[in-house]
Amino acid sequence: MPLLKVENISYSVIVKEETKKKFDILKNVSFEVEQGEIVGICGESGGGKSTLAKVIAGIIKPDSGEIILDSEHQNNKRKSSPIQILFQNHGEVLNPFRKMKNVIDEALKISITDKSNLQIEREKVLSSVGFPKELYDRRGMELSGGEQQRAALARLLAVKPILLILDEPFSAQDVESQLNLVKLFKQLNKEFYITMICISHDLQILRNLANRVIVLKDGEIVESGLTKEVFTNPQKDYTKFLLSAEALDLSYEELKARNM
Amino acid sequence: MLSADIKSVSIFNEGKSRTLLQDIRLDIEKGKIYSILGKNGSGKSTFIKSLTSLLPTVLYEVKGKVLFGGIDLLQASEERLREIRRNKIRYVFQDAANSLDPLKKIRYYFDLSNISPLKIEELLLFFLLPTYKKLSGLHSYELSGGMAQRLLIVLALLANPDILILDEPTSGVDYAVMNLILLKMKNFVRDNDKSVLIVTQDINFAVKSSDYIAYLSEGRLTKFFTSNELLESPDERVNNFINSFKEMSNASA
Repeated sequence: MPLLKVENISYSVIVKEETKKKFDILKNVSFEVEQGEIVGICGESGGGKSTLAKVIAGIIKPDSGEIILDSEHQNNKRKSSPIQILFQNHGEVLNPFRKMKNVIDEALKISITDKSNLQIEREKVLSSVGFPKELYDRRGMELSGGEQQRAALARLLAVKPILLILDEPFSAQDVESQLNLVKLFKQLNKEFYITMICISHDLQILRNLANRVIVLKDGEIVESGLTKEVFTNPQKDYTKFLLSAEALDLSYEELKARNM
Repeated sequence: MLSADIKSVSIFNEGKSRTLLQDIRLDIEKGKIYSILGKNGSGKSTFIKSLTSLLPTVLYEVKGKVLFGGIDLLQASEERLREIRRNKIRYVFQDAANSLDPLKKIRYYFDLSNISPLKIEELLLFFLLPTYKKLSGLHSYELSGGMAQRLLIVLALLANPDILILDEPTSGVDYAVMNLILLKMKNFVRDNDKSVLIVTQDINFAVKSSDYIAYLSEGRLTKFFTSNELLESPDERVNNFINSFKEMSNASA
């Protein structure tokens, strides 16, 4: 039994109130994620990637379809969702006026039973994301973008998720920070056996991070498979388009042929 | 066309001054695209703002000379500078959508440009944006990030500036949009009377688009290299930066 089963998920929004005209954001999306995998989801803006992440995490209720988490991981005693998302705008997720120490402790209190271990657990979770000790007393607004992201990640890890969804965690970072983050995610995946879904329009990042990749276009899965195979031997025109766009080699005619 | 010799840019904070940039030379010639590469926080945006005295003088002090059209932009009057920024040297800043007033419809910006709708339509068409009529009625928050980025470039191009300055034009946009921007920039300088200055941390975009590239770190700028020279550069700082890219390009999951 896979860790996560996404079955025939469809989701639409009403674009015209008077006519009840609908726009389909997700169309019958199905895939599975095995325990310990890192699965990448790529595609252009507006393809439905972030909506899919929110549906999986239970933030949005789909029109139809099911999200099934392996029953082995269904623990009734859990006080937090086993699926957590690291959002794109991580800076806005942290309270700018609270000390990081308190933010992390609050999350830890949800997951640990023995409160006397709080300090040890806090250090464990913050050091696992490489958040330096001297910043524990800093408030959200006193941290740089990269530090905020690590703190936000630590807060998610504090509730011990089974599945971690990363929504474009790499945008607006320079390549050195991106590399460090890729290494960090891989390490967390290995050491804590956390399964991950990483959403990114950056194919290079997914080559580095994801074992398997799903290509999403206009709310539908176009192609999926091992990252290496999909990116070296794409079967579908859309995947081929994404790859040549990545190389910045598209001619104007090729761009024009696509509806942007 | 523009010749900058910035001796220093300093910022004042609680009575103390800290130097952000030092001894930066930049000569922009007609018909060329220049890129300045650098990591987050290296001072790229500060540098381009210093060129037309965009940094608030209560906080920053810029020493040096920026010669453009026979005048020193660091000594020019605010009125003159505004005129230059409106017509001669246009900026497209990062987070394009934030440069637009959310309470105003896009028509406001089209009207501001004083350009005929027909001419605007031509540019919108090139950037594969919705029609003049459709866009005019929208607010900035109704545009996607990629659309806003393209629109801001259109608005800058409508002024037909001599120099176009782009701050991280590829951040948060799709590869397809990057392709479009790249093609338009090449097009823009083709007739040899315009130039483009790009600051970015995207080495691929810089290499594909630019005639000359320099690297900014720790407040100092290297000399300008051609793409090939850059990739072969013996400069250690440049090398470290390029190696991160190589590591990213070579690794696999």
